[in-house]
Amino acid sequence: MKNGKTIVIGVIGSDCHAVGNKIIDHVLTQQGFNVINVGVISPQEDFINAAVETDADAIIISSLYGHGELDCQGFKEKCDEAGLQDVKLYVGGNIVVGKQDWNTVEARFKDMGFDRVYKPGTPIELTAEDIKKDLGMIPA
Amino acid sequence: MNIKNKKWTEEEFFKVREEVLKQWPTGEEVDLAEGVKYLKELPDHKNFAKKLWTAKQDGKTLAQPRAGVALLNEHIELLSFLSEEGGADLLPSTIDSYTRLNRYEECERGIKESEKAGRSLLNGFPGVNYGVKGCKRVLEAVDKPLQVRHGTPDARLLAEITMSAGWTSYEGGGISYNLPYAKSVSMERTIRDWQYVDRLVGWYEEQGVSINREPYGPLTGTLVPVSISNAVQIIECLLAAEQGVKSITLGYGQCGNLVQDVAAIRTLQELAEEYCEKLGYENMQITTVFHQWMGGFPEDESKAFGVISNGAAAAALSGATKVIVKTTHEAIGIPTKEANANAIKATKMVLNLLEGQTLPDSEELETEIKQVKAEIKCIMDKVYDLGNGDLALGTIEAVKQGVIDIPFAPANVNMGKMLPARDNKGRIRYLECGNIPFTDEIKAFNTAELQKRADFEGREISFQMTVDDIFAVGKGTLIGRPEKK
Repeated sequence: MKNGKTIVIGVIGSDCHAVGNKIIDHVLTQQGFNVINVGVISPQEDFINAAVETDADAIIISSLYGHGELDCQGFKEKCDEAGLQDVKLYVGGNIVVGKQDWNTVEARFKDMGFDRVYKPGTPIELTAEDIKKDLGMIPA
Repeated sequence: MNIKNKKWTEEEFFKVREEVLKQWPTGEEVDLAEGVKYLKELPDHKNFAKKLWTAKQDGKTLAQPRAGVALLNEHIELLSFLSEEGGADLLPSTIDSYTRLNRYEECERGIKESEKAGRSLLNGFPGVNYGVKGCKRVLEAVDKPLQVRHGTPDARLLAEITMSAGWTSYEGGGISYNLPYAKSVSMERTIRDWQYVDRLVGWYEEQGVSINREPYGPLTGTLVPVSISNAVQIIECLLAAEQGVKSITLGYGQCGNLVQDVAAIRTLQELAEEYCEKLGYENMQITTVFHQWMGGFPEDESKAFGVISNGAAAAALSGATKVIVKTTHEAIGIPTKEANANAIKATKMVLNLLEGQTLPDSEELETEIKQVKAEIKCIMDKVYDLGNGDLALGTIEAVKQGVIDIPFAPANVNMGKMLPARDNKGRIRYLECGNIPFTDEIKAFNTAELQKRADFEGREISFQMTVDDIFAVGKGTLIGRPEKK
């Protein structure tokens, strides 16, 4: 059953980790989302173009290889320029290099304009719950 | 593109080489004659090929970490720490992901931002940007052989730079550094670009300098069946041998079932030697590398040590020449140097305890070896068939047709029709064969083994098994059994 919401997913930058991306696609589709998967090794523009073209409700950026911090710089600003001010932004994976204090990492990405930031190993089912709350599909 | 599995002429090689060296300004620093001289002056204990071959003769398994950071001094400090504190036998330099896609300008930005932040923002060492001079500084600061570990479809300039700087081993290959690492690079391109790298190594070999080549065994590191990864390794071995490479280390990523892991390494060594002999490649030095578990890791560090030690034991018992060490930080990404050194110590302790021991022959092991050999034969025969006897052409076509099909690979050119899952003993089997040309007997065997698991778990054979298996080790088991209600 389709639930009427569109989510753009993908793996940002020069990152080729494909397994989690395929699982996220699989689970969100099963839950009824219209999933637009820009795939691995995707520049910021690919996420934004896909979101504009499909009038997306949310964007989930995955990063597994540590360059997330460099790759996500300026993403929120570009989204705003493209008229995507209301699109919810999520980021998760192994988004920085090495074991760092999580609260600091989370704050760093929230400062960059992400609505929610996920720790390594977060199941996609949990993110899906958050999205449903954030999009008013279930009570927060 | 005119591609054949035929040794390049010097004319062909040096013509392409002109273009390769222009890819980034540091290419100008490369001088082959100086490289040969520099490499010949290196002591034996800093030559990767020699150290591996000696270990093979002595029946030893060497331990090697992965490691690389953005800044030169920090990189040297990291490698020195892993060598001295961790006791690594062989040293790596893991290359960052921008370099892997030839995005050297982004590397410059990564280096600058890392300097500013006082920590590495790159996930590896940007070798091309540092050039021959920078890479020599690394080599001269450590007392072990150095290998380039990366994931680069077009790795020609990186090869030129690092080899002339005295780094004597180079990971990768035309299949293994395309399908798991790229999205839209053609097989024609990577087969040709890796022929170049192999020809460069072959050229050094002809000047009397031995440089080791290592096709990348684990591929996507996600439930890759043994016959697929072994077939890819054998193909890359033969493509390299044709270009004049002599020292080759063939890789395999731990599956997790001990008998299957031992069968995989033994088959890899035996078949590679057989094919090389049959095709007339002489004086080959073939060794093997066992990668500790490449899939998802438990977050708990003690549990992760269990996974690491288990991999070390399987590597030792399989008789692999080298083991690549994981770390307890695997679940969250790139390890600190302390975590990395600790994992090497744990691994070496296990290797020491098991030195001289191998898994004894058994009916179970024999059956597994026979099975994997039969599967590999189906794939190899079809590859040669598709290329009308030419291995390079056959490989390109085999990937297009899904005869070589890697599970969960990001490359568009990969068919992605084959699906793996574990059987009831945790061995990886084919759930869907896709277009891999197996005999009915092989297909029936795989299905029967999966059926035993399905019966045990009280569910149908399905893709859900695959999904459960992907997360199983991270959650604490090898096989992804359904949760008990």
